[in-house]
Amino acid sequence: MLTMKNICKVFQTSDVQTHALRDFNLNVNEGDFLSVTGPSGSGKTTFLNIAGLLETYTSGEFLLDGEDVGKLNDNGRSRFRNEKIGFIFQGFNLIADLNLFDNVDVPLRYRGFNAKERKRRIEENLERVGLASRMKHLPSQLSGGQQQRVAIARALATDPRFLLADEPTGNLDTDMAQGVMSLLEEINRQGTTIIMVTHDSELAQRSGRTIQVKDGRVSEAAAFNQKAIA
Amino acid sequence: MFNYYLRLAAISIRRHWGLSLIMITAIGLGIGTAMTTVTVNYMMSANPIPQKSEQLFYVQLDSWDVNDPFDEGQNPPDQMTYTDATNLFKADKAFRHSISAQAFAVIEPQDPDLLPITVNARANSADFFAMFNVPFLYGGAWSAQADTNKELVAVINRETNDSLFAGKNSVGELIRIDGNLFKIVGVIDNWQPTPKYYDVTSGAFNDTEELFVPFSLIAEEKITRAGNTSCWKPSGDGMAAFLRSECIWIQFWVELRDEQEQQDYLTFLDAYVEQQKQLGRFERPLDNRLSNVMQWLENQEVVADDAKMMMAMSFMFLVVCLLNTVGLLLAKFLGKAPEIGLRQALGASKATLFYQYLVESACIGLGGGLLGLVLAWLGLQSVAAMYGDYMKDLTSLDTTMVLLAMLLALGSTVIAGLYPTWRACNVQPSQQLKSQ
Repeated sequence: MLTMKNICKVFQTSDVQTHALRDFNLNVNEGDFLSVTGPSGSGKTTFLNIAGLLETYTSGEFLLDGEDVGKLNDNGRSRFRNEKIGFIFQGFNLIADLNLFDNVDVPLRYRGFNAKERKRRIEENLERVGLASRMKHLPSQLSGGQQQRVAIARALATDPRFLLADEPTGNLDTDMAQGVMSLLEEINRQGTTIIMVTHDSELAQRSGRTIQVKDGRVSEAAAFNQKAIA
Repeated sequence: MFNYYLRLAAISIRRHWGLSLIMITAIGLGIGTAMTTVTVNYMMSANPIPQKSEQLFYVQLDSWDVNDPFDEGQNPPDQMTYTDATNLFKADKAFRHSISAQAFAVIEPQDPDLLPITVNARANSADFFAMFNVPFLYGGAWSAQADTNKELVAVINRETNDSLFAGKNSVGELIRIDGNLFKIVGVIDNWQPTPKYYDVTSGAFNDTEELFVPFSLIAEEKITRAGNTSCWKPSGDGMAAFLRSECIWIQFWVELRDEQEQQDYLTFLDAYVEQQKQLGRFERPLDNRLSNVMQWLENQEVVADDAKMMMAMSFMFLVVCLLNTVGLLLAKFLGKAPEIGLRQALGASKATLFYQYLVESACIGLGGGLLGLVLAWLGLQSVAAMYGDYMKDLTSLDTTMVLLAMLLALGSTVIAGLYPTWRACNVQPSQQLKSQ
């Protein structure tokens, strides 16, 4: 479902070349819950950005849902992100000026759904994360855990094939983190493929599969891996 | 999506109301200043009779001093002598022709309780009314026979009719002017061509006259001549000597319906001048001219140079305001880089975002345009207050000007927003999402 073959990413400044990913190989199957761990600067976030089509890669081959995404232009990548990928960020990334309803509405607008369909999806997904009663609230009126739940509702609203989560519990206390993790597990059980970058080894252990990234490569499978890296 | 973008723009403008207000004020000031000067220039240079401005021609003959040419030889005299004007009039070679001059009169009302009123008058031939499309409220123009027979007839304007006859139909009534009784044959409805093209020598933006009488009455001294008079030879004593003199004080217009008529009339003018040369007049080279309405207004520089300069300066001020707006929009949109990055992650293409932020720029421009209209109106009122009656017909915003102001505001703000929007849409989403 997601296949990266020899992906390299080089950041070039005027006189310095930084290799963020080197011959990065990975295969993710439908329904996987993959945790990506590794030290800071190892290339986890670069991998996630490339996987989410937010950044291009320097060389290699990247197939997402069977499509060679390296050939997509800006419009194609935008459409692909909108239709197939949901994002969850460490900092929640809700739009402060918009209430919960309108925040969840954003990707649906770009998808071109009519008003009735958008309303149905927004209500359904806010209900799913337990915030249906607060849809007219602004993000600033919610706790961190609640804000992350809204971000999850927004990510799920378009029925994506993948959820890409970058430290989704990084800004939450333990209780809230457990709640968000449980929600992600439930989403995965319902069939959505999840790729989660995390520093938290306990959370990583709860996913079905873990890889460790070091110096821009998938260096080894962690001890708690349950499936081999393809 | 347009409605969605409008809603987002409204939210953004409300959220950052201080910054938005500064931008709207900057654009409003620029538009207001530009529109004030544009309106004055537009009104000054407007075609006052578009339906036939190409058929009305002002006639110029160079009867001036051979040793001291009029306008340093650039142009023939801007008015005509009595001798030439009456000769051309009698020759009757044009489809219509108007001989006219400014005059002055004191009307003594029949009602002894009313005080005499001083009016600006015009002494003109009968064709004047038909040639210049003068609208009548009551009655109509006098006949050509009335000109020839020097009949004591008059046409008054609506305002004078209101003063003397309380607005009633006064056709057939008599008014006393300088001791003579004139019979009213027509009352003109509201009529104010701007510029007052038929006589720019006495003020292109003055009010139209309140009283019109046959031109032939000037020679009879039944009406007092007024207006600009220029002479290059002594005119002698007495009215008869003045009429025979080389002094210029008459405006002569002809209506010619096509190019053939124009060519024929020019040929006639050349023949006339050649004939006059044989009589010892017209010592300067042949320089007869026919100028249509817009050519004549341009020739007479009705739009003053300082008005053009003011307009250029006001547009430079608008550019300065827009440059400030560019800076403010840049600050605002780059401040939204995290949101832009997020929207890209959620499926917005750069083109979509570009459209969204241009709509926001346009909304700010719309606000600036509305404020600019208010400021332009205030500016025009100030101009009218400073210059008085002379400018009052140039200081009103018509539909064209309102539309122009809005288009100018929208267009210039969207252009000003292009660079900030382009910069904002080219942010790297991954960096913005990480940093939020």
